[in-house]
Amino acid sequence: MKQKVLMLFLAIASVGLTSCNSNDDETGIVIDGIDLSKDVDCCSAEEALQVYKFIQTVKIIPELSTSADGLYDVYAYSKTGTLHKGYNDLYFVVTKKKTGNYVKYFDITNITPLMNMVKMNMWHSTPVGSSFEVFDTNRPAVKRGWVSLLMNTSDAGSWQFSYDIEVLGSKGGIQNKAINVDALPEGQDWVKSFKVGDDTYYLSVVNPSDWKTGTNTIQAYVSKKNNPATTPYELAPETFTIEIDPRMPDMGNHTSPDNTPLTKQKDGSYTGTINLTMTGLWRIHLTVKDANGKVVAGGDDLKDGYSSLFWDVTL
Amino acid sequence: MIALALTIILSTDTIATSSHTIDEVVVVSAAGEGRKRSAKGLVASIDEHLAELSHVNLVRRGSYAWEPMVNNMQTERVATTIDGMKIFYACTDKMDPVTSYVESSNLQSILLNSGLNGNPQSTGNIGGSLDLKLRKAGFNADPFHLNTDIGYETNGHLQVYGADASFSTQRFYTNGGVFYRHADNYKEGGGRKVEFSQFEKVNAFANAGVKLTNRNIVEGTFIFDRANNVGYPALNMDVKKAEAFITSLSYKHLFTQGVLNSWETKAYYNHITHVMDDTKRPDVEIHMDMPGKSWTSGLYSLLSASNGRHDVQANYDLFYNRLFADMTMYPGGAAPMYMVTWPDVGTLNTGLALTDLISLTNRQWLKVSAKVAWQTQRLNDDEGYHALEVFFPGMKQRYQQLTGRVAMNLQHATPTTELNIGAGWGSRAPTVTEAYGYYLNNTFDQYDYIGNPRLKNESAIELNAAAKFSMFNSHLSIAIDANAFFFYNYIIGQFENRLSPMTVDAEGVKVYGNLDHANIVNTSFITEWKALSWLTWSARLSYAIGRDEQGDPLPLISPFAYSSVLAFTYKRLQGRAELRGNSRQVKAGRKYGETPTPAWVIGNISTQYAFSINGRRLTLRAGVENVFDKRYATYSDWCDIPQKGRNIYMNINIEL
Repeated sequence: MKQKVLMLFLAIASVGLTSCNSNDDETGIVIDGIDLSKDVDCCSAEEALQVYKFIQTVKIIPELSTSADGLYDVYAYSKTGTLHKGYNDLYFVVTKKKTGNYVKYFDITNITPLMNMVKMNMWHSTPVGSSFEVFDTNRPAVKRGWVSLLMNTSDAGSWQFSYDIEVLGSKGGIQNKAINVDALPEGQDWVKSFKVGDDTYYLSVVNPSDWKTGTNTIQAYVSKKNNPATTPYELAPETFTIEIDPRMPDMGNHTSPDNTPLTKQKDGSYTGTINLTMTGLWRIHLTVKDANGKVVAGGDDLKDGYSSLFWDVTL
Repeated sequence: MIALALTIILSTDTIATSSHTIDEVVVVSAAGEGRKRSAKGLVASIDEHLAELSHVNLVRRGSYAWEPMVNNMQTERVATTIDGMKIFYACTDKMDPVTSYVESSNLQSILLNSGLNGNPQSTGNIGGSLDLKLRKAGFNADPFHLNTDIGYETNGHLQVYGADASFSTQRFYTNGGVFYRHADNYKEGGGRKVEFSQFEKVNAFANAGVKLTNRNIVEGTFIFDRANNVGYPALNMDVKKAEAFITSLSYKHLFTQGVLNSWETKAYYNHITHVMDDTKRPDVEIHMDMPGKSWTSGLYSLLSASNGRHDVQANYDLFYNRLFADMTMYPGGAAPMYMVTWPDVGTLNTGLALTDLISLTNRQWLKVSAKVAWQTQRLNDDEGYHALEVFFPGMKQRYQQLTGRVAMNLQHATPTTELNIGAGWGSRAPTVTEAYGYYLNNTFDQYDYIGNPRLKNESAIELNAAAKFSMFNSHLSIAIDANAFFFYNYIIGQFENRLSPMTVDAEGVKVYGNLDHANIVNTSFITEWKALSWLTWSARLSYAIGRDEQGDPLPLISPFAYSSVLAFTYKRLQGRAELRGNSRQVKAGRKYGETPTPAWVIGNISTQYAFSINGRRLTLRAGVENVFDKRYATYSDWCDIPQKGRNIYMNINIEL
C-alpha cells in the first residue's frame, strides 16, 4: 500500500512519467532534492527512482551515517533505523553532496562491531557478513551486508562500530562510534552458539520477523569465532546441516509437518523450509550435524525431550 | 443388505397422496387430527418439535441448539432450509445448527423429506432435507388474532413467554411476535446439577403480504434471533452470543388458466454471528476467542404446473455463502496465538431441480425428482489459505464441484394397504469444515480435525421401502419402514499420526478423507391399536446399522430404540403416558472414538385441556418428563452428558 501511495505521489510530482518509460526521455523523472543531470558515476533517472523507492522502506541509522572527503554523504539504513540483538540487514547509500544523486560505485570494508564487556573488562566482536554487495541489479547504488549482534546494550556492556568507505577515490568511514543495540522483545531469540572442540560457532537466523503463517523459507548463517575475538567473526568454512523441529511451548509443544533441514548454499548461507501453523511463540529446536552426518550440537534430549539448542521466534 | 433394504416399510401419519418419505410436525395448533405435534404445544422448543419426526434423532451438546440427524446422518448429509432459503451455521464446533436460529412461534410446521427425494431447494441432501415452514397469517384469515403463551418447567426453571398478533384482509396481511426463553442449569436424574447448561434466547419475527392484484402477491419475512449465555456442558466452551438476522422478499404470480399454477421468486439474505466464550469456565488452560460468521444471500424461482395427471415443479436456485471463523489463544503472559479456522470460504452455488408427482391410476403415484447443482468455492483469506497449504502443498485457492441427485418413489395405496418403494442416487460436495476446516477440536473423540481440499464428492445410492396395513376396520394398523444408503467416497475424519495436535490434551489429529464405501441401514416398525373409542395404544421399534468399508461400526448410529404410548381422549382432556428407551449401544463406533452407551428407559406423562371462555380459546398443558427421575444419556448425547432428570412442565396458550 505504501508503495502504491508513493507511486501515486511520484506520478503527480513528475512530468510525463509514462513517456519516459516509452522513449527513455530521462528528463521526465523528477525526484525532489536530486539533480538527475547525466553523470556517469551516478544513477540514471530510472535507477535513481528505484533507489529512492527502496529507501522509503527503510530508515537511516544516524550513528552509522557519515561523509567522505566533504564530497559525499554516506547513509546507513536498517529496517527500523536502529540495531537489535541478532541478525540485522544493513544497507548503505552514497550521494554526491553537489547533486544529491546516488553514486553507483563505492566500497564498504572492515565493518567491525565491538562490544565492551564492562564487568570483565574485555572486548569481543560478533558475526558479520563477509562483504557489502550490490543489493540487487535494479538498484546498483544500494549495498547490502549484515551483522548479527550477540548481545544487546545493557549494564553488562555496550557496542561501538567502525567501518571504512571508499567512494570514487575519496576515503572515509567511522571509528569506534558508540551505538545502542536494542534487546529483542520477549519470545525472540535469534542468535545461538555452540562449540565443537575449542571452536565456537554462532547460528544467526535471518529476519524471522518476516515469516507468516504457512510455509516459509528459513535462512541462517553459521559464523566462527575468531582469535583474537576482537576480529569480526566470518562465515564458518565447514559445512553443516541444521535440522529443525519447530514447537509451540505454549501449546503443548505442538509442531508442524514437513519442515526441511537447512543446508549450505553457494553464497555461504544455509536455507531450509519451515512450516508455521499459526502465529504465536515458536521454539525452533536445532540439531547441527557436520559433513559426515555426526551430531555436533543440539539434538540432545532435555527433560522435555527437545533439543536444548533453539531459536525463539514469535509471530 | 439389499434384501433387508427391500423389506417393506411403513409409513407414518402422512396423507395419502404423499410419499412415506415425507414427514411433518405441526408447530402451530390448528385443526388436523392425526398430524404430529409436540405435547408441549407452541411452547416446545424447535428441538422438541424436531424430536417428533420419524427418521430424526438429535445430537445434544447442552440443553439448547440440538443438531438434527436424519436417518442417522448429521448436518453434513442433511439439507436444512427455512421456507426454501439456504442458511449455514457459523460455529466451527457445530454449536449452532441452523434450526437454533428460529423459534417455534416463527413456524407453521417442519417438513422432512427423508433421503434423496428432497424438496426442490435442498442441495446435498443424502440423509434428508428439512424445511422449516414459516407461519404466515395469509389473506382472508381472521381479521385480528392475538396469541399468548406462557410456560414453566421446574427442572432448570425454564421460563417461556411469547406473544404474537396477526392482521388479515383480502389484500393484505401481517403477523409478528416476540418470544423469550430463559433457563438455568438443569438437574440430571438423581438431582445433581449439570453445570453450564443454562441459556437465554429472544426472538422477534414479522411477516407481511400484499396482493397487488388478484394474481400477484408480494410477501416479506423477517426474523431476528439472539441467544445469550448458552452453556454447553459437553464442550469446553460456552456461547456468549449467537445472533441471526433472516430476511426475504418474494413475488408470486398465480395463473388461472392453462397448466401453470404459480410462479414464485424469492430473494433472501441472512447472516449469523456466533461468539464463543470460555471466561466462565474454571481451570481454563488457555483462554480462547473463537468467533464465527456466516453470510448467505440467494434466490430461488419455483414454477408449479399440473394437468391432472402430472404435478410438476421446476426450481432454479442460486446462493452465495461466506464462512469465516478464527481463533485467538492467550497463553498467560506470552504472545497470543492466532489462526484462521474457516478461511473466509465463499461458495457460489446454483442448481436446477425438477419434481413430478405422477398419478398413474387413482391408487398409484410415482414421484420423481432430480437436481443438478454446480458450485465454486474460493478461499478469500490468504492467511488461512497459506496455513492449509502447509498440509496440502500446491492446493488451489479455488475449487469447483458438480453434484446431483435423482430419486423416485412408487406408491400404491388402498384404504387398507399402503405400499411404497423407492430408489435414488445423489452426491454432495464436502462441507467447508470437511474441505477447509483448520484444527477444529472435536470433544467427541478428542481429536483435532483438519479439512482436506482434495476430497472427492461423496455419493450414495438409496433404496427404501415401506408398507402399512390397516385391519379390523382400521382399529389396528402396522407399518414397517426400511431404507438403506450405500455410500461411495464416504467422508469421515481419518487418523493422521504424522501430525501433532494443537489442542492441549487432544489425542491426535484426524484429516477428513474418503472411505471407498460405507453403508447405513435404518428400519422401523410401528403399530397402533385403537382399543377403545377414547384409548389408543401405539408402539414403535427402530433399529439401524452403519458400517464403514472394513465392516466396522460407524459412529452415532442409533441402537435399538423403542417406545410405547398409551393415549386417551376424554371430552376436552387428552392425555398420554409413554415409555421410551434404548438398548445398550453394542455397535458403538469405537474406531472413531465412540464409547458404548448403556441401555435406558424412561417414562413421560403429558396432558392437555382445551376450553373457551367468552370466545377466548385456552389450552392448558401439563406433564412430567422422566417421571422416575432416571439418570441416563442417549447415544447421541455428546460426551455422554446426562439428560434432564424429572421435569414437570405446564403451559398455557390463550388465543383471542
